[in-house]
Order: sequence, then C-alpha cells, then structure tokens
Amino acid sequence: MTSLGTTPSVPSVSAAGLCLSYGSTRALDDVSLRLGHGVTGLLGPNGAGKTTLLRVLATAVPADRGAFTVLGHDPGTARGRHDVRRALGYLPQTPGFHPDFTAFAFVDYVAILKEMTDRSARHREVRRVLDAVGLSDVRGKRIKRLSGGMRQRVALAAALVGDPGFLVLDEPTVGLDPEQRMRFRELIATAGEGRTVLLSTHQTEDVAMLCNRVIVMAGGRVRFEGTPAELSARAAGRVWSSTQRHPGAKAGWRTGTGAFRNVGDPPDGASLVEPTLEDGYLLTLDASEVAA
Amino acid sequence: MRGVTRPAADEPLPAAGLGRHAVGGLVRALVLPVARGLPWRPLAAGGTLGLLIAAGTRLHSDGVQPWLALLHLRAAALAFGLGLAFLLDDPARHTTATVPVRRLLRAGLRVALVAPVAVAWWGAAVLLVPAEGRPPLGDVTLEVAATAVLALAAAAAAVRLWEEPEPGQATAAVVLVTGVAAPLLMPGRWTLFVRLGVDRWDEAHRAWAWVLAGAVLVWVACTVEPVRRPLGGWSRSSPRP
Repeated sequence: MTSLGTTPSVPSVSAAGLCLSYGSTRALDDVSLRLGHGVTGLLGPNGAGKTTLLRVLATAVPADRGAFTVLGHDPGTARGRHDVRRALGYLPQTPGFHPDFTAFAFVDYVAILKEMTDRSARHREVRRVLDAVGLSDVRGKRIKRLSGGMRQRVALAAALVGDPGFLVLDEPTVGLDPEQRMRFRELIATAGEGRTVLLSTHQTEDVAMLCNRVIVMAGGRVRFEGTPAELSARAAGRVWSSTQRHPGAKAGWRTGTGAFRNVGDPPDGASLVEPTLEDGYLLTLDASEVAA
Repeated sequence: MRGVTRPAADEPLPAAGLGRHAVGGLVRALVLPVARGLPWRPLAAGGTLGLLIAAGTRLHSDGVQPWLALLHLRAAALAFGLGLAFLLDDPARHTTATVPVRRLLRAGLRVALVAPVAVAWWGAAVLLVPAEGRPPLGDVTLEVAATAVLALAAAAAAVRLWEEPEPGQATAAVVLVTGVAAPLLMPGRWTLFVRLGVDRWDEAHRAWAWVLAGAVLVWVACTVEPVRRPLGGWSRSSPRP
C-alpha cells in the first residue's frame, strides 16, 4: 500500500489487507486505508476497484480476506455488520427506486429500513433531509416524474436519513449537468461536516473542490493516499507546454490556446507549467491505465 | 445536517439485536411500503393464467376426469409459480442494500403478504374444478405448495447469485423450463409426477413433502446474507460497471 502525507490520527474507518476476487479477476488486492472526518475522494480509472471497495466498506459484499472497522464496529460478525449499517449512509453507483413511490414515501421507506419506527420523529427526519437536498417542493411527486438530477438527490436524501456517521457515495455526480453538479458539491461539502464521507468519482475537479484527502486506486490496489495538494505536488516539474505533443509524454493534449500540455518526464529546457490535481493523478497511473 | 431522531449509531443494542417489541414495530411500519413495492402485476398475471387453466376443466362437455383435473391443477400451480418467481424483484435493491433491517425479514415479509393471496388463489382454483372431478385435495395441495416454494427458492437464489435488482424474468424462465421438462425428463424411478390411482401415489407425496422441505431450506439459505463470502466468492457475479 502506498501511504503518503498525513493520515487521520483518529480514523473513523480503518481497513487492512482487503482482498476480493470475482472469478479470476482480483478486484481488490491488499487494500489498506484510514479515513477520518471530512470528505475523502476516491479516484481511479474504470475497473480500478473503486466501486468494489465502496461496496465492501458499505457491507454490501463481504471481502475474501482482510478486515476493517467503521466507527469502531467490526462488520466481520452479524452483530458488528448490523452496527455498521446503523451508522452508514450509502449512495450506490446506480441507485434504484420504486418509481410509483413519492420522494417522501421512498425516503420514509428507507428510514424505516434504518430502524426508525417512531412515525412522527421519522417523518420529521425525512422532511429534514428532503429539505437539505432541496426537494421539499417536490416531496409529494412520484419518483418516476422527477428528473435524473432530482432522483439522484432523492438517493442522497435516502443515504443521509438517520444522520449516518459514515457516508459512502459512489459517483454521485455522474450524468448531472454542471449546475446540478455544483448543487451536489454543496450538499456533499455540507454532509462532510462532522462525519466521514468517502466519495468515488471520475471528476478530479470534484476532488479538488471538495476533498481534504484523496485516494487513487488502480488494478485493485491503492496507488496514492494523501491530500489533494500532495497529489498535485507529485506532478511538480513534470508538466510542460509545447507546440507539439511530446512523444515521450505519458499524456498530452492540445489545450484551448492551441499549445500542447504534456505530462511525464520533461525534456531539457521544457517550458514547465503549474501542475494540477489531474496531472498528479495521471502520473500515479501506469501508461496503459492512462490510455484506458 | 444534524438532528438525530433515531437511536445513535453507537448506542448499545440488546444482545440478540432488536428486541421482539422493536421487531414488531418494524414489521408494522414496513407492511404498507413493502406491500406497495411488491410486483403485483406479474403475480396477478400468473394467478389469472392459473385460474384460467383451472377453469379449463369446465370446458369438457362430458365432465372432467380426476386425472385430467390433476394435470390442469399442476399446470395452474406452475403458472402461479411463474408469478411468484418475481416476488423478490426490487428496483430499490441497490439503494437499500446496506440497511440494518435484515434481508431475511424483508423477504419474509414479502412472502407473508402474498401468502393469504396464494391461499385464496388456491381455493378459487380448486372451486373452479367440478367437484366430481377433483383429485385428492390434500395431496395436490402439497404439490402446489412445493411448486410455489420452489419458485420462491429460485427467486431467492437469483437474488443471492446475481446483482440484478429485478431477476424475475430470468427466474420465471428457469421455473417454466424446469416445470415443463421435469415431468418429461425425470427418470421413472424418481416418483414425483405420478398419475392418479397408481400404487406409488403415497410414495410420490412423501417425496413432494421432501421437495417442499428442501425448497424451504434453500430459500432460507439464499435469503440470509452471509457475513463472509462462501468458497472464495464463486457465488456472486461482479457488479455492473
């Protein structure tokens, strides 16, 4: 496991040696990590194992090997898993709904499944989370009549209901337009106050804007763990501008100005430019993973 | 985003998890939303088709013979089983995959909600068969119950083995093929689909009782969520990308 930068002194979530295979495919390969309060971004190419890691930490699927704790609870036993689930909010990659339920009824249903049996207290909580995600006005509308962005917010409300201490969000901004994405960023930033949020995303801007820590995964392994600034710093002195794509660059593309931005090992006399989080991320991956 | 209205996550639970009283409250709260979320359409379609097949016994002008009524009722049970194969379809499956309420309780509630409907359906199917043509009802009821629970076990296995939130169609196809092929391909020494009046009738219905018990066990085994992966994870398909 790669471990750079400061790690949380009091981790809310701690995992060691997680392994999981689907047939001959090793989806998780000795993954260890520690998460503290705040939003941690999980970056990686397709097939990196991000969703599998999130599903394991959310107790949706058990790992083949390894152990982890969430807020002090060990999900390796039925009792421990129950305790973890009581402390958990999970927004899956492809959230599903009962389309004929209203937004209120669906979140209320999830609240019951989170063992909130007191009807009036539960309804107060459902109204609170629907208000928090900006769906108060449409709470009586059937889910099948809501837009994709609104449905995603219903799923976030379902994850937030019950005030979980650990929130797992799997690519929550996929398919949202820029305005909706901004709205979601606000929601996630607010959700990260006082709780642990693990956010899987392909959007490096999401990580740059939201996360106090970042983990990069590829090939089922953790390649980097640290702060976004530390990930950006990995690319210091390794990003340069040129009039043509440099053949030795790991990645290179023409920017809006017409110049090429190259990432890799610069030639002598290269015109270095300020690195971004994305540059650091690209340098963390192998060339084949960048191409993928 | 604070405002706790539920037991705090670190609040100690009773040793055996939720107490009986709390489970009762949960079940009461869940009845309505679970009933609303049930796949009523395929259940109704399977049930209606089954009743039509049972009513087919009335089309015989010279009265239906018990052996023919038995075939009708077996076919009706298969049709109803096709509907039951959809019972665990849940479009919200991924969204509710990690809630504290156990899958066994949720699935059990679905079965419990449909059970009275199934009993009423079977009563209606029997009444549609002319009284003089009815086969021994106790034994046939056992066959129908075993068929229904087999369909439920297939649905539970589909949920356990696949990530698909609504595997009902595929499950129903498997149930249909199995239901049609089993009487045709089953070796003669396996007494299960015997004709009315043959010596092996009682023996066959002891076998049906075993099938019913086995199906219940498979349903329970597939519905309980494992804490650890059995046999290195052969039992689960990979998640969709």
